[in-house]
Amino acid sequence: MSPASSSPAEVVLRCEGLGKVYRSGFFRIPYVGLEDLSLDVRRGEIFGFIGPNGAGKTTTIKCLMGLQAATSGKAELLGKDHRDPESKRGVGFLPERPYFYEHLTAREFLHFYGSLFGLPKAVRAARIEELLARVQLERFADVPLRAYSKGMLQRAGVAQALINDPELLVLDEPMSGLDPMGRLLIRDLIFEERRRGRTVFFSSHILADVELICDRVAILVGGRLRGLGTVRQLVGDRVKHVDIATRITNTDAALPGEVIRRDGDAVILRVGPDDADSAIDTLRAAGGSILSVTPAREHLESVLLDEVQRAAPINQKHLGVLA
Amino acid sequence: MQLWAIAANTYRENIRDRVLYSIVFFAVLVLCASLVMEEITIGDQDKVVRSVALGAIRAFGSVMSIFLGIGLVYKEIEKKTVYTIVSKPIARWVFIVGKYLGLMGVIVTMIALMAGLYILLMLTQQGPPATSVYASWWMLTVELGLLTAWAILFSSYSAPITAASFSIAVFVIGHLADDIWRFGLQAESEQVRQFAGVLYWFLPNLSVFNVHDLAVHHLPIPVEQLIGATGYGLGYTVVVLTLAVWVFSGRDFK
Repeated sequence: MSPASSSPAEVVLRCEGLGKVYRSGFFRIPYVGLEDLSLDVRRGEIFGFIGPNGAGKTTTIKCLMGLQAATSGKAELLGKDHRDPESKRGVGFLPERPYFYEHLTAREFLHFYGSLFGLPKAVRAARIEELLARVQLERFADVPLRAYSKGMLQRAGVAQALINDPELLVLDEPMSGLDPMGRLLIRDLIFEERRRGRTVFFSSHILADVELICDRVAILVGGRLRGLGTVRQLVGDRVKHVDIATRITNTDAALPGEVIRRDGDAVILRVGPDDADSAIDTLRAAGGSILSVTPAREHLESVLLDEVQRAAPINQKHLGVLA
Repeated sequence: MQLWAIAANTYRENIRDRVLYSIVFFAVLVLCASLVMEEITIGDQDKVVRSVALGAIRAFGSVMSIFLGIGLVYKEIEKKTVYTIVSKPIARWVFIVGKYLGLMGVIVTMIALMAGLYILLMLTQQGPPATSVYASWWMLTVELGLLTAWAILFSSYSAPITAASFSIAVFVIGHLADDIWRFGLQAESEQVRQFAGVLYWFLPNLSVFNVHDLAVHHLPIPVEQLIGATGYGLGYTVVVLTLAVWVFSGRDFK
């Protein structure tokens, strides 16, 4: 089915009660890596997967991609059981901090991955030229990967993830360790894939990027799903504080709120969301003029931090022995 | 196609590896040095030269098989290159068998290279090698196929040092299999007899591939022995590779 003709609500990735318990040491002590994860990713959306280190993001992705066996629950990729190798035919995958065959040049490397999908040589050759241009590696196509910088390797990794023109792209920390230009390139690639009707599922620590590009976000803390929705749904309309820029010549006047910056008679004050009206009245009464009023909304970062704090007691189980 | 892609990549990776060239360099050195034996040996000098040269091919072939085989799967897991392979639409057996075939391609190439050099040396010194010499290389290839399968099995679940120890143990015990059997028959203790029996039947009997003396003396190798050893080697290899696939299929990559 072509992405353009499909229903926007069609689910391309589904987890139902997915769980992973690791066992380590001589006594096989259990450790919960992921617990009862259920979520759907719909065709055509950019889905962000966020959480602190050890939250279970990479565990989820490894289970989905067949690198680890889930110990409970089930998952589907493009309608097929994720344990079936054929479920990966329409999936592109970039692991976290990818490692590749250093003896290969970028062109050989992409031919190799193309052949793992069974693509004919002519199709591979055309696709490789297109991808090398997209990730801006044409000039280095015949250089062995051992000579590549970290950013170049990441771009080569993205190219291998796209070699099969995947319907679903799964990226584990794709922007980790990249410079701003590298991050921009990956962002543009993600947008470009979405524009082509593809679905992108990615994990990231860089919440500003997630907030900027994701249609929906899942928050994972301590191996458990703690939030799922659009950024607006998760963050809400809640105003954190209000910054009031004012010009006031009366230096003796008592200023309502915290002074953030003062430059001569120009002052920026920070007040609570419920105190803005009275602060404006007070400033006007003291002869001040209001230049601007800027409400500051919550960001994903604060939502995530709240969830981490709220989950702290539960995390005892995640971090230690099963209760 | 996927199987050949993995095999070709493994072949290319090993052929471009400098370690391989170190082994080949020493093999060529020993082969050439075998000619010196002629000057310092009393008796049938030709046979001594043939024995040293053919022995060198066997020894370096075994070294390649063990030392390239033990890192084959482990290296992929350690370097995490396996992440981008098993996440593709390929079954795990394809990965193991592809890696095996790729490495066997390298081993066959190297045996052919050393055999080519041997033929060249013989043509300049003693005349063309007997048919039994070619047959001995076939037997060596089957033996190394089996040894490589064991190395891959160990490489699927343990680090190279452990895998190397196990592989060398299989190699040594395999070549002493007949002696272990005889020792078991003569032992007084029932436990020792049983232990010798288990070792004999469980581990490969690599001495069935050893036709070194016949090749050195240019004596014919019975066809039944060739067919029997080939069947035994291939059958055993399939069993060991199946075990390696089973072990690898159950692995989590952390």
